Amino acid sequence: MPYQVHQDPDTSFTDAPHAVYARVIIRLIFALSLAAFLMPAFSRAAEELVSDHVRISWLAPQSFAADPAAQNATLGIYFEPEPGWHVYWRNPGDSGSAPRFTFSSVNATTGDILWPYPARLPIAHLVNLGYEAEVAYLFKLGVDPLDMRQASSNPRGVQLEVELEWLVCKEECIPGWGTLSLNRSIRGDNHRWEPETKALVDRFYERIPRPDTQSPWRAVCAYWADSGILTLKLEPSDDKARPDSLPLPDAFPLDGAFFNPAMPELIRTENAVELKFATSPGAKLPAEVDFVLVVDGHAWAMNNLPLHRGAFSDAQPLALGLLLLSAFVGGLILNLMPCVFPVLSIKLFALINTPGEGRAQVRHRLREGISYSAGVLATFALLGILFLALRAGGAAIGWGFQLQSPQVVLGLVLLFWLMGLSFLGSFEFGHSLMQAAGKANTRSSFVTGVLAVFVAAPCTGPFMGTALGAAASMPAISAMVIFLGLGLGLAAPFMLLAASPRLAALLPKPGVWMERLRQFLAFPLFATVLWLLWVLGHLTGESGWVLGGGMLLVIAFALWLGKAGKPFWRRAAWLIALASLVWIFVQIGQAQHAESGPTSGDQWQAYDGESIRKARAEGQGVFIDFTAAWCITCQVNKKLVLDSRAANDWFETNQVLRVRADWTRYDPEITQALAAFGRNSVPLYVYYPADGSQPVILPQLLSVEMIRSLAAR
Amino acid sequence: MKSLSLTLRRFLATVLLLPALAFAQAVPGKPAPDFNVPDATGKIHSLADYKGEWLVLEWFNKDCPYVKKHYGSGNMQSLQATYTAKGVKWLTIISSAEGKQGYLTPEQALKEAENHKLASSAPFLLDPSGTVGRAYDAKTTPHMFIINPEGVVVYAGAIDDNDSANPAVIPQSSNYVAAALDEVLAGKPVTTVSSKPYGCTVKY
Repeated sequence: MPYQVHQDPDTSFTDAPHAVYARVIIRLIFALSLAAFLMPAFSRAAEELVSDHVRISWLAPQSFAADPAAQNATLGIYFEPEPGWHVYWRNPGDSGSAPRFTFSSVNATTGDILWPYPARLPIAHLVNLGYEAEVAYLFKLGVDPLDMRQASSNPRGVQLEVELEWLVCKEECIPGWGTLSLNRSIRGDNHRWEPETKALVDRFYERIPRPDTQSPWRAVCAYWADSGILTLKLEPSDDKARPDSLPLPDAFPLDGAFFNPAMPELIRTENAVELKFATSPGAKLPAEVDFVLVVDGHAWAMNNLPLHRGAFSDAQPLALGLLLLSAFVGGLILNLMPCVFPVLSIKLFALINTPGEGRAQVRHRLREGISYSAGVLATFALLGILFLALRAGGAAIGWGFQLQSPQVVLGLVLLFWLMGLSFLGSFEFGHSLMQAAGKANTRSSFVTGVLAVFVAAPCTGPFMGTALGAAASMPAISAMVIFLGLGLGLAAPFMLLAASPRLAALLPKPGVWMERLRQFLAFPLFATVLWLLWVLGHLTGESGWVLGGGMLLVIAFALWLGKAGKPFWRRAAWLIALASLVWIFVQIGQAQHAESGPTSGDQWQAYDGESIRKARAEGQGVFIDFTAAWCITCQVNKKLVLDSRAANDWFETNQVLRVRADWTRYDPEITQALAAFGRNSVPLYVYYPADGSQPVILPQLLSVEMIRSLAAR
Repeated sequence: MKSLSLTLRRFLATVLLLPALAFAQAVPGKPAPDFNVPDATGKIHSLADYKGEWLVLEWFNKDCPYVKKHYGSGNMQSLQATYTAKGVKWLTIISSAEGKQGYLTPEQALKEAENHKLASSAPFLLDPSGTVGRAYDAKTTPHMFIINPEGVVVYAGAIDDNDSANPAVIPQSSNYVAAALDEVLAGKPVTTVSSKPYGCTVKY
């Protein structure tokens, strides 16, 4: 049942004759006020329009040249908004509207509007593209040849009219309509200009995009990844020029439906720069994209760049090889991770203990190696398929987010605690589990392979993160190559040892040292437990530590009790362990969320949009650190740069408001803020200069010099 | 030495970069974000209430010239009346913060609903905190969303293809929302599922 509030105006009056007049008058007043309301800025044709918050006039010569050899004149339609108000570029950005121009002329032909390149204007969390000060929209005008002009009533004059529709905005927006007209004589050899007018035209002509053949940067390619990021890759046009010797480019996309107008992220590579633009989710992918490139106050038109999907195809074969190599190296490094190395060592002991002699032993070891590798590769392939399926389903995947769940972290704490205890030999069950994994037979080798990948998960997060980050923006085949490359790298050292008798001969003889080493390897595992407890503490506060630590205590106690041997005590131990585990997992789910971010006495404030807006309005610089406890890069930057004395001094001297946006747990407001910068991951470092100019996005790897150089902006 | 440690640190941190979770947003083909917001009479509306029904969300600001374009001409009200008559639910939301342009108290909102001859399924939904607006990433007034009976967004964007503020252009404009609703009500897929919204910035 739709809600209706229609009211028949005729019921408000009686039908007495004077009431009819009253009704007519009221309707007339209403109609007039409605017209005024809808057309607040309508003006009659003139050489100048003065409207709400904006003044509009021609930039035109006093007379046009009669000489047919004279070049086309460049004229302007000059908008002077009041301070604080702005008008728009051809792509207005998140809101707003470009002005519209409809020309009609006698004895002259006009060209298309030439748009000076715009500025990014932040409006709340949105971005507009436009001009905050005066601007001239330019166009070319060619005087018709004399024989064509003869037909007109005044062959010695040019008449020009432009119907305008514009929008001028501050917080609020006011649309306007009007017509500018111009009458100028045609005489002399040249277009005659007043010097000030010509200077204004020339000033804005500097900002009109030129053909990109003269640009210091040339486009290599533009490609779009499923993550929604469009990358525009640029190289110096001069092959001999080094990228860091050139001023950095900025670019404005013409297509407002597909592109998010937020400032692109700029990434320098060895011999190129990449501009990464956020695009509108759900928007149709265009076949070609157009940009206006801006370098050092000049603009170049980059039109009709073919848009590739996924990685750039021409560069793929090489890239794929490199990718495989780096994934392989990444996989090799995985072997050394504190979670993987102990498991692998046990497997190695099994290899040393391989039964049989000579050929039989070699064959056996080879079989071991192959089935272990098969286990590793099968697991990675499965993870890859899962990843691709999720990606096809539209889920944006990141690695590390699983550590946003306290239950998952607690589960990992439990796993590594048990493994550590079993390595120390105080845990029979686990010991036998490890023995099973270490036993020399094909099936158990496959299982060890699978286990190796799974126990690796928390420690490998960082590595997988890079790989997955790359894989997220790649075609399926390349993504799969990454996964298999990681798997090959992880499997390679063991496979090599198992397959080569000469290498295997280098292995030390079995002995007591093996037991000692295994016990020693419990300690990296305990270190992992400690790290995970720290993450847990960030997720759930003090109670996280207590619950996590309590779990370790109960499990250790239950193990000791179970060792008693009597069936009753063993059963009691199981019961205690299970009951307390259930209780703790439930508790941790309900645990009070820790007060996010800064602790007391800290110079850093927790994220709060309102106080940031306030500080900016008061002309204070604001630095925002988007971070998370599980993000290792963030912690490295925090320790080495942000919390360093030098950075602290700089922040103090410049009275910068320091804000720490802690994304350890999911937080919608911070997620929103990240999204406003086209990001969905941390770290992100943003600096709003005190003068209210464009925010600066710092690289993900900070240095104190970078912080200091902010002052120069 | 310094450059070596920097290189090393750079390498480490590159390797250790952790990208993470994506965010909710109203994107065609994805489930619509939930909402829980009162209308001008105080009645709470949530996405779950409209399960099984076609739902249109429209962002509104009475002082925005683009809203005036569609209300002054009667265009928006006629769309509301046409489609609510066909069983579509239509909610008109105000996300202007208190003190910003377009903010209305419940009493004012009831009065404006009357003045504007609003023909939505409820008088204005009031979202002065901007929670719903941000969840949907509503950028402009008007910004339009169509949600199917399963709660999935099928259209997000402008009301039509002409971003002029002049009501005179309405008859020649092609209306995306009407086209999409006609298609879905006829059991057909939506041709244009997304467009660039135009209008005034939502005054969060």
